Amino acid sequence: MRELQSYQGIRVGDELPELSQTVDQAMIDAYADASGDINPLHIDPEFAKTTFFGGTIAHGLLTLAFVSRVLSQWNWQGWAYGGELDVVFLGPVRPGDEVRVSGALELIEQRADGVYARCSLVCHCGGKAVVKGFAVSKL
Amino acid sequence: MTSYVKYNSMTEGEEFLDPPPSFQVSKEVVKKYLQSTQDVTVQLKQTTEVGECLAPPMLAAVYVIDALRTRVGPPGGIHGKQQFKFHRPAYIGETLYTSAQVLKLYEKKGRHYVEMATQTTNQQGELITTGMITRIWGQEP
Repeated sequence: MRELQSYQGIRVGDELPELSQTVDQAMIDAYADASGDINPLHIDPEFAKTTFFGGTIAHGLLTLAFVSRVLSQWNWQGWAYGGELDVVFLGPVRPGDEVRVSGALELIEQRADGVYARCSLVCHCGGKAVVKGFAVSKL
Repeated sequence: MTSYVKYNSMTEGEEFLDPPPSFQVSKEVVKKYLQSTQDVTVQLKQTTEVGECLAPPMLAAVYVIDALRTRVGPPGGIHGKQQFKFHRPAYIGETLYTSAQVLKLYEKKGRHYVEMATQTTNQQGELITTGMITRIWGQEP
């Protein structure tokens, strides 16, 4: 494994395309329907009021769908064929929040089967990070 | 209310999806997923050289969670961490099988955490996705 500073015009420090997505209850409900994940914490305001969160929150995996949109746009081939994602959920996304997904290349490495980029990732709601981690994509 | 699995009933190393449940990657499932996530990735509107239509990599969120439905905790549980490796996208029309294993059970700040590993293959045994999920178990009454 060998570290590179750049590869075919892509450099360490380059930023990924940024994405902003507003999440509302209708989107959360639609995702619950599409995914089959009908945990009442996401779709039942009365139940959600009784929980630690005090109201409904979006599915964590809905937020990751936005991350996947960014990586698909940036490097579809490398993301869909061999891409890796490793994230921690730090806080909730609530109806009405705008999720901002951003990331940057922190490492380019030559492996036995090709060149890979490791990108730091963060999703913010307002000034608060709600998801943090990294993705690996083949270049 | 849907029945749920108690934290104390699980054991580390337990492979709980035997046989692995199947999931049909239909046009409708993919369409609903793309609409709900507002995903307009161009490559998902095209067909491959041999005429296959691709599903988005993160459809894994649907078929993995579907497979893990037999190990759902009480309402109120949430996702703590998620890892995925996308070996290749699934094609519309494929049947996927997900196997899963409880890796680790632990308690932190009074809450129960469950780590599970998953592996998804198609009907021919080709690897589609591997993953690891950490769930914070909902409070049991």
